[in-house]
Order: sequence, then C-alpha cells, then structure tokens
Amino acid sequence: MRLLSAIWSDIKFQAKQGFYLVYLIITIMYLILLSMLPPNVLTIALPLVVFSDPSVLGLFFIGGIILLEKSQGVMMAIVVTPLKTEEYVLSKAISLALVSVFAAITITALSPIDNVNWFLLIISTILTAGLFTLSGIMINAGCNNVNQYMVKTIPYMLLFTLPCFSLLGFEYSYLFTVVPSVAALRLLLGAYHGIVRYEALGLTLYLVVMNYLFFRNSVRIFENKIVYQDQKL
Amino acid sequence: MIEIGNLEFTYQNTQKTAVKDMSFKVKEGEVYGFLGPSGAGKTTTQRLIIGLLRNYTGSIKIFGKERSSWGKEFYEQIGVAFDFPNLYLKLTPEENLKLIGAYYKNGISDIPAMLDRVGLLPDRNTRVESFSKGMKMRLNFIRSIMHNPKLMFFDEPTSGLDPVNAHIIKEIILEQKAAGKTIFLTTHNMTVAEQLCDRVSFIVDGKIVVTGSPANLMIEHGKRRLNINYIKENAEYSEEFDLNQIGENEHFLNIIKNEEIRTIHTCEATLEDIFIKLTGKNLQ
Repeated sequence: MRLLSAIWSDIKFQAKQGFYLVYLIITIMYLILLSMLPPNVLTIALPLVVFSDPSVLGLFFIGGIILLEKSQGVMMAIVVTPLKTEEYVLSKAISLALVSVFAAITITALSPIDNVNWFLLIISTILTAGLFTLSGIMINAGCNNVNQYMVKTIPYMLLFTLPCFSLLGFEYSYLFTVVPSVAALRLLLGAYHGIVRYEALGLTLYLVVMNYLFFRNSVRIFENKIVYQDQKL
Repeated sequence: MIEIGNLEFTYQNTQKTAVKDMSFKVKEGEVYGFLGPSGAGKTTTQRLIIGLLRNYTGSIKIFGKERSSWGKEFYEQIGVAFDFPNLYLKLTPEENLKLIGAYYKNGISDIPAMLDRVGLLPDRNTRVESFSKGMKMRLNFIRSIMHNPKLMFFDEPTSGLDPVNAHIIKEIILEQKAAGKTIFLTTHNMTVAEQLCDRVSFIVDGKIVVTGSPANLMIEHGKRRLNINYIKENAEYSEEFDLNQIGENEHFLNIIKNEEIRTIHTCEATLEDIFIKLTGKNLQ
C-alpha cells in the first residue's frame, strides 16, 4: 500500500536527518525538568509539556522536513511518482503523530502521576499533532528558506497559543474552544484531570472535523504551490 | 504516443507566453529530441506533457487521452529524469531507489544490477551526500527507469558526466529504445541528439522551427561537397570538390590515386550549423 510506503519513507527520512535524535534529547530534557517539579505543579506542567511537543515542536519539525525535501530537490522526484498529494500530506501527519504519541506516552509514563486516561491521551495527541503538522504544511508550502518559514510561522503560533490562556477561566472563556488548539489542549487536559464523557466526545468530533478541513486545505495549497509550477520561477 | 496540437501556455505571474501554437507527434518506440537554447520553452513543454503545469490551451494527447484527464496513475507509465539530481542526500543509492520505488504498483528492477550498470555498485552503501555530480546524475537516471515505464523524459541526461559515463547512459537509452520504449529527450547538446535521436525538433522562442531526422536535416542543410586533405611533396593541401559527378573529376581522381590522403569529409551540416542557420541563435 502506497500510504504505508510513504509513512515508512518519512520515518526513514526523519531518522536519517537526525529528527528523532533531537526528539529524544528534548524528551530527556523534559523528563529531567519535570522530575524537579513539586507534585501540584507537575499536574499542570506535564499536560502543557506534552501539548507543546506535537504543537510547537511539530510545527517547526514539519517546516524543517519540507524545507529539507525542497532543498534536496526530492519534492520534484516525488511529484512525478504515482504518490498522491493526499498520501504525501497524510504520511507526514501520521509519521509525526506517531513520534508525538511515543513522546507523550514516554514522558507521562516516566512521570510520577496517576489516573491518566491513556486512550484520551493518545487520541488528543494524534489530533493535536494533525492540526499542527497540517498547519505547518499550509504555512511552509510557499516558503523557500528557514527565515521565511520563521517569519510566517510566528503569527500562526501566536494565533494558536494565545487563546490557550483562556483555559485559566473567565467569563465566556469556553467560547475560545472554537480555536482548534484550545479544543485540543482542553481534551489533553481531560486525559490527565478527567473530563465529562460528552465533552470529550464533542471535542474529539470537533477536532476530527478541523483536522479534515486542515487536511483538505493543505492538499490544495501544496498542489498549488509545489506540485504545479504555473508560476515562472 | 504523444500528440501535441496548437499548444499554448502562459505563466500566470509573468504573463510570459513560453509555448506558442506548438504541434508535433512522438511515435511509439522512437527517441524524439527537443532541442533549443536555454529559455526556448523546452522545459516548459516537457513539464506540460508530464503534467506539472496546468491551464494550457490546445491539446496534449498522451497514451490516447488528454493530459488533463489523467490522474496520478499516469506516472506508473512514465519515467522522468530532470537535468539536476534530486536525491535524498542522507540515504544510500539503494535506499534512494527503494524509497521512491515503493510508490510504484509494479515494483522495480533488480537494484544491484542497475547500480552495477552505471558503475555505482561499489558505492551502494555510501550516503549520496558524498557523491560527485556525475554519480548523482547516474543514480537520478536509473531511478527514472527502474519501474519499467513505457515513456521516458530525459532532460540533459549526460550533463555533468565524463565521456565514459556519458557513453553508458547513451547505451542505456538505446537499449530502452530497442526494448520498444519511447523517449522524449530535451537537450542543447547536439552531439547527444545526433547520436540518439530518430527525429529532432528545434525550438526557438516557444515555437518549433524545424523537425526531421538528424541525418536528413544534416544532408538537406549541408553542402553537396567533399573536402580532401592530402600531402604532396612534403606540403599539406586541402581542396573541396562538388559531389555531383565526382567520379568523373580527373583532378580528384588524380589526388586519390597519387597523393598521400590525410582526411576526406563530405560537407554535411552539423545540427548546430542548421540551428544557427535557421534561427540566427547559438545553442548555449
């Protein structure tokens, strides 16, 4: 199956480029930092650390991956194969989600914390990784170097992270849950602190829909900016 | 195999019309050369046929169907080698071929045999990042044919190669032709075109100015004359004769019989001469 081949290719590429080594180092650093925190701080810090992994790191990693593929020219080699853009985009999202899930489970399992809803942790990490990887593809498709990517990423990063402060709670703050990153963080917090079943279901459904919309849009942008070269270079 | 009719294409951002009212056919099993200087529209035409550019007017029929109606399955049947190597630098040649090869339904050819054919077998476990441009071009080339496509697009396939490796690539192209494959070759290297192509088209400013077999074009545009270089009484002489009734030219026959001949050449034009004659432009 072509999608599986694409996922395997991405894992191999990411491993050879040293992305997993960076992930490993960051995970170890997180673990060391978390081990120094008192239990009452840890219950808040752990979900935030786990959330930052697929979100902030994921956004930069996908940027790095696509820029590397662009700079090595392999994008041109890929677009003239039978691999569909949908499969290319999906394989990037899945391969990075796998790493994020692995990191989330490792960090949580090695931290002194009880009553974790592992199923919800995995689901929320996958949906968060999806959102951010797909956003990274949308942002990155038109970029040709790291500087451009950084400049374009920061506003999106702020757009995604600032509304997360609404979780501190104030009047009508739940309205911010319409921002997908807030919904994702709410779901992830639920994995650690408990959540009403219907709310978890509603957030999951909402994030699935948002992931789908982000996916369709990533495919469209990727095709317009990378696959088809209707603009004179 | 390929039928292009009144093809026109304009780049959206620059509004530059890169291909103007172009029509030609590529027959199954032939090596078709698309020749012209940089910026003539060769690569644009190739990209239109491959499907990397949209919004053209006119028609591109390929395997009997309009290009815009094909989906990604089209790429199962074609192989493309661009004029620059595009490889995973941190992977070995074998890993590069396997990785891209996994996207094809029908699998790929014997990798060690292919690497051996282009002299890369000893480096099969070396990362591509340490390869020279020539090595990368060879790997790039075999990647484009590893899935046994019916139609191949090669853009400057011998660029950056030394004569020995360029010869190997040309041999493989002729082997593919002998196996019934169709080859669309884009180049500004006239020697490569003369050696490989059954027919060539010259492109200038997005238009085809002439099409024909290299041999016929060279005769048609050459002089019907013969140049002879000989030694007489320790001095070197060069003379030109009309080819018509040359067997009755006493002076020529006398030279052939009595002098020490150094070289004899008919004066057919080279493809480069024809190009310059027809377009007033150089091929670089």
